[in-house]
Amino acid sequence: MFGGLKEKLQAARNRLGSSIQGVVTAQAPPVPASIQAEPVASAAAQNTSSPEAPTFVDKLKVLIIERELIVSEKDVAEALAELEMTLLESDVALPVCDAIIAHVKKSLVGKHRKIGESVDALVVGALKSALLDVLGKGFDLAEFVKSHERPVRILFTGVNGTGKTTTVAKIGVYLKNQGYTVVIGAGDTYRAGAIEQIGVHAERIGIKIIQHQEGADPSAVLFDTVQYAVSHKIDVVLADTAGRFHTKSNLMNQLEKIRRVMKPDLIVYVDEAVAGNDAVVRSAEFDRTVGADAVVLTKADMDSRGGAAISIAHTIGKPLMFLGTGQGYEDIIPFDPAQVVEDLLGSEP
Amino acid sequence: MLDNLSTSLKDALKKLAGKTVIDRAAVDELVKDLQRALISSDVNVKLVMELSKAIRTRSLDEQLPKGTNVREHVLRIVYQELVRLVWASGEVKLEPQTILMAGLQGSGKTTTTAKLARYFQKKGMKVGVICADTFRPGAYDQISTLCARINVPCFGNPREKDAIRITREGLQSQKDLELIIVDTQGRHALEEDLIKEIIELNVLTKATHRWLVIDAALGQQASEQARRFHEAIDIDGVIITKMDGTAKGGGALSAVAETKSGIVFIGSGETMEDLERFNPDGFISRLLGMGDLKALVERAEEAIRADDVDVNAMMKGKFTLRDMYTQLEALNKMGPLKQIMGMLPMGNMQLPDGVYDVTSTKMVRYRIIMDSMTPNELDDPSLISSSRMQRIARGAGATPDEVRELLKYYKMMQRTLKGLRGGGGKFNMQRLMKRFSGMQ
Repeated sequence: MFGGLKEKLQAARNRLGSSIQGVVTAQAPPVPASIQAEPVASAAAQNTSSPEAPTFVDKLKVLIIERELIVSEKDVAEALAELEMTLLESDVALPVCDAIIAHVKKSLVGKHRKIGESVDALVVGALKSALLDVLGKGFDLAEFVKSHERPVRILFTGVNGTGKTTTVAKIGVYLKNQGYTVVIGAGDTYRAGAIEQIGVHAERIGIKIIQHQEGADPSAVLFDTVQYAVSHKIDVVLADTAGRFHTKSNLMNQLEKIRRVMKPDLIVYVDEAVAGNDAVVRSAEFDRTVGADAVVLTKADMDSRGGAAISIAHTIGKPLMFLGTGQGYEDIIPFDPAQVVEDLLGSEP
Repeated sequence: MLDNLSTSLKDALKKLAGKTVIDRAAVDELVKDLQRALISSDVNVKLVMELSKAIRTRSLDEQLPKGTNVREHVLRIVYQELVRLVWASGEVKLEPQTILMAGLQGSGKTTTTAKLARYFQKKGMKVGVICADTFRPGAYDQISTLCARINVPCFGNPREKDAIRITREGLQSQKDLELIIVDTQGRHALEEDLIKEIIELNVLTKATHRWLVIDAALGQQASEQARRFHEAIDIDGVIITKMDGTAKGGGALSAVAETKSGIVFIGSGETMEDLERFNPDGFISRLLGMGDLKALVERAEEAIRADDVDVNAMMKGKFTLRDMYTQLEALNKMGPLKQIMGMLPMGNMQLPDGVYDVTSTKMVRYRIIMDSMTPNELDDPSLISSSRMQRIARGAGATPDEVRELLKYYKMMQRTLKGLRGGGGKFNMQRLMKRFSGMQ
């Protein structure tokens, strides 16, 4: 999903690079000018006293190559403005974008740079560290399950239509393939057809599902699911819930109750990669009210630019766990921030 | 953070408030803040740039209408430009028709389909629904449950995998109904086989309308997705869903710009009734993070006419109780104070909740007290001695203290207006409000 962002970042990087390169050429003239007169002298010097010449040339070399340049705010302003546009067009929320730009600026401005050093390396370094900073470390679910007491209880939350149910099914398959036993709790008792939906998924992927009737108390369903897992020695409980808006306090309270009743080991916040600025608002609110330990971003196959990942990670500071990339059960990939940043900016200058 | 943003926009507007001459730098600053507000509402970045360019050019080129300040001038242009964008068509006729629903996964097509069925049913039409979502498990259960709740026939078959066949059979079985809504599976523009499917569905149903359902939270992708859907099936209306959250729905703005259509409905809740016809004013206000602009512009124009308030006399310092009376009346016409405050872009001016009520009841009291004054007293308040005060109080059923308070308030207003003379501009509601709240 980061294809679009990659292209744009590469362009922005070139801009930043060339703008700093511009600084170099702009500040360079005095140097050649000052030596302009020298060559004659040095040529003459070379002729007369050759032993001294190398030291003189060396001195010149030192003067030109080791000369340090200080990148000023003005030098990068235009390029940074362009980088800002790039991030905004990639759905990075405005406040997050501001923070990243500030970070890049801070690490570039005032930096002493030697002429011999690659401009590109400097820019890429700044961008890379800004993005890595934001994206955090990633989250290894298999490792988490391995290191926790059974059954590992995982609760899925998020607003309506982000793909919680599909994600539950996909993660079920993922864990099953890792050799764990899984049970799913049909905690969405509100939306019409939700129980049928997760029921069909569970049947297709061969995972046991615990369900009550439509309109039942989701806490009860999920409590039963945990009880089932305990008595049947099942490794992982995946608890689906109904989508809810962070603005509905009654529904958020219900989620809080679910959390109290089933005591999840891991709360996974599910959002979509195509979401814009609201991703920041709602993820922050979910994190504040019921908490979130990891994030899954769905619909990453929709040609999205990946900005939501950056926005959410920056806002709640929780690791991204998976990306949902399609309609099939296997369409889920563990999120590796280092890899993503590497892909975005490339390892080659 | 969104509050901060709209505050910055309000601050920028505030700077323009007193100005009567267009200041290029101030307009530039406003346009920049406007850009940020729109971008943080998820409007497509390119679209924002185009819009703000138009707004800037118009703000600087157009003559400042007489009697308005720069802020009003720029606001009006902003408003007009945005309305022009969203208010293209969006017409909904109550006649036999077929509606094809399209949209991304999880945008809320099925819920909206049921809401639409309910909407048209309430308008007295015979409505039917066809479930052409053959992919998502539980889709048929969902729509048939929803339809059963509102007694609308729903055609579908969870075991059939061919959406085209289901739709063909559905159209046949529902041919006696007036309005048929075809709910389709969620798809995005990169899924070519699904795009092909919806083109076929469009041809098969000969749909009167092809409505694109957009999640209010959808970001910059909205333009691109809308463009591809438009290329495929010629979208002629956009429905925004999930407006009950905090998302601003800027993606929908990008989508209508891309499809040259209008926004037809807004979904804002989980029950069948939570569907509204689109109202551009509320939507735009939300996008900008400001109060209801149009209502403010209109009401202000209506309430404060030149003949209502003699601005010039007041500016000369001739401000009598009579003038204050007309002012209070004008304010009263604009509706409850709280509403007016909500409509005014007043930045970070924080008033405790209680203030509004006290103030508006007090305003009514003031008018009653003034009603029991003589014309002479109204013209020259200095006449009011303590015996006259007693009389006025008795006449108005008030206490002399209240009359005294009124006079104090009058003096304060007078001072405020005097202070305004230097700043230029006319009747400055904002400053007035500030003084007013200071009274409490």
